[in-house]
Amino acid sequence: MRSKQKYEMSTIWIEEKHLLKFSRIELRGVLSVFFVCFDKTKTKWKRRKLKGMEFRVGAPVEGLLVFVLSLEGPSALSEHAKSEFKRVFQDLGVSVLSGASEGYNVCLFAYGQTGSGKTYTMMGTPDSIGLTPRICQGLFRSEDTFPDEQNSSRVEISFLEIYNERVRDLLGGGEQKKRASLRVREHPEKGPYVQDCKQAMDLLEEGIANRITAATHNHDASSRSHAIFTIQYTQANLENNLPSETVSKINLVDLAGSERADYHYCRDRLTEGSNINKSLVTLGIVISALAQNSQMSSSCQSINSMASEVDGSTVGSHSSSLSGGGGGGGGGGGGRRHCFIPYRDSVLTWLLKDSLGGNSKTIMIASQWNNWQHCEKTMAGMCLFR
Amino acid sequence: MASVSSDEWRAVCDKFTNAQNLTVVESRNDPENDPFRSKYKARELLREIYCTLKSFEAGEGEEESGAESGEQRPPEPAVDGQREDGYDRGLSGDSPAGLRAAKLGAVEYYLGVNHVDTEELSAGQEHLMTCMKLLERCGVSSENVSLFIHVRNQLGILSAGWDETEAAQGFLETAESIYQRYLKEDGSPPTDMTEYFTTEENLLTHQERTKRFELAYTHTMYYLAQVYKNLGETERAATYCHSTLQRQLKLNQFSPMEWALNAATLSQYYITKGQYMEGRHCLSAATVISDLAGEVPSEAAAQESETEGERREQLRQKRAEIARCWIKYCLNVLQDSKKLLGDSIGELDTDRQEELKTARRREEEEEEKGRKSALLFGSEDTFDSIASLEEKVRCLLPLDFTEARAVFLVGQNYVTQAKEYFQMDGYVTDHIEILQDHSALFRALAFYEEDLERRCKMHKRRVDMLEPICSDLNSQYYLMIRRQMMFELAEIYNEMMDLKLTLANRQSDTESLDNHTVNKFNHLCSASTKYFQMFLDSLCSPEGKIPEHLEEEVLRPALVARFRVARLYSRLITSSPAAQLENLDKSLEHYKYVVQYCEAHPEATATVETELELSAEMVGLLPLQINRIKAKMVANN
Repeated sequence: MRSKQKYEMSTIWIEEKHLLKFSRIELRGVLSVFFVCFDKTKTKWKRRKLKGMEFRVGAPVEGLLVFVLSLEGPSALSEHAKSEFKRVFQDLGVSVLSGASEGYNVCLFAYGQTGSGKTYTMMGTPDSIGLTPRICQGLFRSEDTFPDEQNSSRVEISFLEIYNERVRDLLGGGEQKKRASLRVREHPEKGPYVQDCKQAMDLLEEGIANRITAATHNHDASSRSHAIFTIQYTQANLENNLPSETVSKINLVDLAGSERADYHYCRDRLTEGSNINKSLVTLGIVISALAQNSQMSSSCQSINSMASEVDGSTVGSHSSSLSGGGGGGGGGGGGRRHCFIPYRDSVLTWLLKDSLGGNSKTIMIASQWNNWQHCEKTMAGMCLFR
Repeated sequence: MASVSSDEWRAVCDKFTNAQNLTVVESRNDPENDPFRSKYKARELLREIYCTLKSFEAGEGEEESGAESGEQRPPEPAVDGQREDGYDRGLSGDSPAGLRAAKLGAVEYYLGVNHVDTEELSAGQEHLMTCMKLLERCGVSSENVSLFIHVRNQLGILSAGWDETEAAQGFLETAESIYQRYLKEDGSPPTDMTEYFTTEENLLTHQERTKRFELAYTHTMYYLAQVYKNLGETERAATYCHSTLQRQLKLNQFSPMEWALNAATLSQYYITKGQYMEGRHCLSAATVISDLAGEVPSEAAAQESETEGERREQLRQKRAEIARCWIKYCLNVLQDSKKLLGDSIGELDTDRQEELKTARRREEEEEEKGRKSALLFGSEDTFDSIASLEEKVRCLLPLDFTEARAVFLVGQNYVTQAKEYFQMDGYVTDHIEILQDHSALFRALAFYEEDLERRCKMHKRRVDMLEPICSDLNSQYYLMIRRQMMFELAEIYNEMMDLKLTLANRQSDTESLDNHTVNKFNHLCSASTKYFQMFLDSLCSPEGKIPEHLEEEVLRPALVARFRVARLYSRLITSSPAAQLENLDKSLEHYKYVVQYCEAHPEATATVETELELSAEMVGLLPLQINRIKAKMVANN
């Protein structure tokens, strides 16, 4: 499974002789996260591969692209560094767009402590726009290159904020005081979606940058909430004279500051570490973990147990005669007992479910110093849902 | 304390109250970039209190040393079997010296907690250890037992944070034994720690004292549960979680919905261990207590006010979740019993059934004894309601159809309840899981049904439930679920096919099957094949290419699916030799795939041993059959 692994590295030099490196890895089926630690004290960079941090994310994953870079806060960046970031953005943006145009869902996470440059990376400032506006621009630009009228596309944008498990629409029109939270639901056809969320259709590219920065200012308590900017990109094409549609979703997620102790998205059910929860309010979590550990099976494996249980039917029925009895299925096989743990995935995980498994590419930008353990936990929490 | 004026003392008390206020109330308003501002202020106050106390002590010490030296008992030398728990120590807890020690200890305690809150863990631990040392000289009494327990709770938490799990266990178990012994030997409502620095008028009531003391011990139980879990002693951990829940209920320190959900979750733990009696008790208690949370606000009320709307959502959702826990209970009970009673081909073994029935009569007496020792929930009002709910469903494994059916009906009832909230539009994944559980309930019940015709009807119910949904689902978002459903539908049709065949063969051994039966049979075969094939197709790439390597989770199902399809093709009944040839060719193709895949991937062999063996045989036998038919065709032409 690791046969397709390949990675490239390049070095960017910044003033003060601090090294900034990034490595890009493309894998099949297994998510591997490479971290680069930006160590001020030493001039050598440290690259750590998180052993034992390999997760199966859903089943056949077409390719998870994980891209991690370690940044310092924007104010400390020199001009040279800024231009390097432009290059990085271009690279990243291109990967995102190419994935989307091929019909994959792409999900890009910006993770790190407050003030470490996440929002700068994602949104940027009016003079130095970040990833999100760039990707939007790139999307519109690519449309200009379509040769014939046969292909057309549609872009729908929405911008949400998740704070304390409540969802708020940041593009929600003039009355900014309206804080009604929106419900997140699952639809058989559409998958997980946010009810009543405004979707802006075909905003002009100049308009986008403005709308976004305005919305970012609405995004208060930014260090404690997650912001999800979603682009749904529908391409209509004619294949063999049959109209078909490729729909892909690009989710650009600005995660809440990682130093906040209450990460909802990090509520790993496979509790690790021996830290004791002090408050009785967390009794539920402890009991859930007990039940979860006893069960030790995921929904993936329920196909397996189904297949195991029907063992018996093969006996006595392989004779070439077309008659022949032979019992039905049932019995046999030491199955595990399956239970139901009343546990709600965080709103974030639920909404991004389709982007974290199956047919999707996921990119993670971590802007932090040395607490990569937190990042580990985040990815663990996200990937091991369900 | 003649040397301490009441004014001075009042000043100390005020300072203390201030410190508490800063720590608990003001600290919530601290700004993000200076989050410990109030706590630092509180710390200063506490330090001042400490100094003041020390100066009082210095003053008093001179006065008292003369008067008391005669009376003071010398500290007892270490005696064999003396426990660490602080009993039988030198100073009596309620002597002035003992009280002084307790007060100083309390300040150390609060300083310790303060440091821990501001993330200065080592300093915190130092203070807490000092507190413990101060108390070491004293015997346990109602004046200081609360402090004894609190300080050990905190030290337990700290040690656990540093991965010193055994030390944590030590502290907490000591606290546990102190509590138990205190209750046995004394039992009066002990002084709460805040009372060390309150004036006479503000002392707490006995009731309040008891409440706080008991709460401290509840925390001890809870921390112990976590420590045992970290030590891998899950059974003890579960027992302590259970005790925590029990205490919450008894002391009326709970919020109904939360408690109910926790009890329901604990029941799931018991279920995974097969302890159905405990599981049932937890679930019944959960149901009863959840009713205490009140009425669900109506739809109209929900529209009007956002809080009512939220409350409605919350209550309905949590009750539906408890219903789902019940479903799993019923399902597991049936499945466990099926395992016990099943023979090697998965049919009900009547001999074993007899055996178990006789064994059970003995068990029922045991159950009574077990009841008493197991921890029971409830207070006077709820005890009966819990018991009556329990009577509705058995906790011993059902041994025949009637008993199984009773369990099934209970489960089905909860399915209906759960589906009311977890509707398809809005909760796709949950809704489908409930349907899958319902299907599994039918499947388990079918095992007990002797009449094959009725058995078939049960399987048909499963198909009717699952089939319409499978096609509606978006294949991109719900990939996993669709696969499960396809596989299950395929298996159900397969099962029905086998049943029809058995039925037909019983009816007429020598006569050939009539047309209607043949059609029905073929239809079932095709349906099963269709779904297996859909499942296999879902594993292919978007271009339709078969994966070279199967992922672990789908390895066995994929190979089994192939194997079944092969068998199904070989079973199709047709009068035309050409068609028969075609079927056998396809059958051979699939058998070959299994063999070839296992050859190319030896690690897969272990997962499908039986199927592989049979496939290999068929790969040998089928070609002969095919040739025979070909020869016959040629001869007939």
